[in-house]
Amino acid sequence: MTTYIIRRLLLVPVILFGVTILIFGMLQFLDPVERVSMYIRDTPKSDAQIEALITKYGLDKPIYVQYWKWLVGDVDPITNVRSGGILFGDFGYSRTNSQPVADLIKNRFPNTLDLTLWAIGPVIFVGIWLGIQAAVRHNKPFDQMARIFSIIGTSLPTFVFGLLVLMLFYANLGWFPPGRVSDEFSKIISSAEFTNYTKLLSIDSLLNGRFDIFLDVMKHMVLPILTLSYISWATFLRVTRSSMLETLRMEYVTTARAKGLSERDVIHKHARPNAMLPVTTLAGFSIVGLLGGVVITETVFNYPGIGATAARSAAQLDVITVLGFTLFTGLILVVSNVIVDVLYAFIDPRVRLS
Amino acid sequence: MTSNNDTLLKVDDLTMHFPIYRGVFQRQVGAVRAVDGVSFEVKRGETLGLVGESGCGKSTTGRTILQLYKPTAGSVTFDGQDLVKMKGEELRIMRRKMQMIFQDPYASLNPRMTVEELVGEPLIVHNVVPPKEVSEHVKHLLETVNLNPAFASRYPHEFSGGQRQRIGIARALALQPSFIVCDEPISALDVSIQAQVVNLLEELQDQFNLTYLFIAHDLSMVRHISDRVAVMYLGVIVELTGRDELYNKPLHPYTQALLSAVPIPDPVADAQRQRTILEGDVPSPANPPSGCRFRTRCPIAEARCAEARPEFREVEPGHFVACFFAERFLK
Repeated sequence: MTTYIIRRLLLVPVILFGVTILIFGMLQFLDPVERVSMYIRDTPKSDAQIEALITKYGLDKPIYVQYWKWLVGDVDPITNVRSGGILFGDFGYSRTNSQPVADLIKNRFPNTLDLTLWAIGPVIFVGIWLGIQAAVRHNKPFDQMARIFSIIGTSLPTFVFGLLVLMLFYANLGWFPPGRVSDEFSKIISSAEFTNYTKLLSIDSLLNGRFDIFLDVMKHMVLPILTLSYISWATFLRVTRSSMLETLRMEYVTTARAKGLSERDVIHKHARPNAMLPVTTLAGFSIVGLLGGVVITETVFNYPGIGATAARSAAQLDVITVLGFTLFTGLILVVSNVIVDVLYAFIDPRVRLS
Repeated sequence: MTSNNDTLLKVDDLTMHFPIYRGVFQRQVGAVRAVDGVSFEVKRGETLGLVGESGCGKSTTGRTILQLYKPTAGSVTFDGQDLVKMKGEELRIMRRKMQMIFQDPYASLNPRMTVEELVGEPLIVHNVVPPKEVSEHVKHLLETVNLNPAFASRYPHEFSGGQRQRIGIARALALQPSFIVCDEPISALDVSIQAQVVNLLEELQDQFNLTYLFIAHDLSMVRHISDRVAVMYLGVIVELTGRDELYNKPLHPYTQALLSAVPIPDPVADAQRQRTILEGDVPSPANPPSGCRFRTRCPIAEARCAEARPEFREVEPGHFVACFFAERFLK
């Protein structure tokens, strides 16, 4: 088990190297003048200053030198101050947001994380539960309904479903507004009386003892979570159902019945754990997807997570910001995949021992 | 057939039809008649062999007896109680007395449970052993089937086919059942392992006074282990009698054909003997022939065979045959 985890961890730097190469490769489509904008904070600059910066960051040098400079940045020989260098957390300067990309991520990622935290439960477990029930009631009315529900869920695009619920629950009923938090509370949150412990608004509001803010924050997350859930329920339902049906046909399930187990134990002790393997993979992808920012959902509900921010930067042709976010998402992807792999080994003894 | 105290299991007109659904509205258009009116008895402590080609319904018979499938019709009387009428909890408790050894030692063990969990689970769900003693009990069971008790914490995929089958046997024995359905327990095993497992089954039978329904298609193995043998063809039993009687004096043309196909380990004798070679294929169990099931391939079939189904009758004491012409072969 330990060797398995260590082997997985050893792969992380290798994969990260691949990710940086890929993103650095994308940067090469820009000409040096555009690339140097990554390091410019206060515009405008004269042509001579730009030339000096290009030389400073080696943008006129061979490609491996450029890659190295991109990774570690440049240390000023006199002041000994480092500038640039993605390894040191400098992802460049976001022109459209007027702040460093790293700061932007620091501001927006907690919002995405907050949404993910509350969405995981409904997104994953409801779909799995529905799938198990449908498989156990194979070809019965519940199963048929679940299949219809799942086909609608799969074929309905996020932006259509999102706009429909926004229309119903916000425009018509006025229950769940879009955005992050109501205006009256946003001032309190940015004031000194509100302490940011975790930067996750839902948790911080509770820690500050402001239950009214917590409720308001949750109200804003209901519709994004509903949208994310409905779309993924369909997928989880289908995968769980087919995997469960396959498992229920296995001989060891018959063995369990022959042992004299109750039908409940047969399903929940023997069939379900075995049927969960493909679902675990899917759940892993889902969580990674949520953490990487759900671009359309965040955009539809005007939710200030990293997905919506990256999308807005892309629309304004702010390549540096988009690539910074891509790099960050890649990092999350690699790390969460390792976590999923380790969880997988916990669930299936065959993975652990081979 | 009359039953008395010696009879552990009495199967009467057991029928298992699997419905076939077609079309948009999943209308039932027919049924696969996997088992179509099977009657026999198994005495305490005996081994009844059940042989037949693949797909003749022998495994289904075994599973239907244990109520792993709910039979379409007929009754299964086990120890004086009708299993078909039992439901839920009552049936679950009854399972303690009747167990099954499965054909495929790979598929029939849950890959995510250790040997101890697999073998110990029946003890726990039936509450026969205090939870603290389960582990000890499992080790003892593993010893009984000649497995190293130290293997208890391993997973099934770490074992060979023969070892897995012995895990399956230990599992079946855990509740000290009186009756075990052995569903082709050796056909998935290497020939070198087959004898080991069969000998183990025989030893255990003596040790625990077990009654077996031994399902197989290997005629010589069945002859070795069984006291009496039943021959199945297309969902019905065509002949049932004592082991030696069946092998020496088969009365049904299908049994004769089956026996003539058994290879003799002597090239000269093998070349000289007369073989009955059946023509055609086994008809579909979804659409079986009228009258006698075997008539389409029978070398001695006549017109009446298509009209009525031959009764399964006692031609000689203890020798049951379902053929109109059984007397022809009596010498």
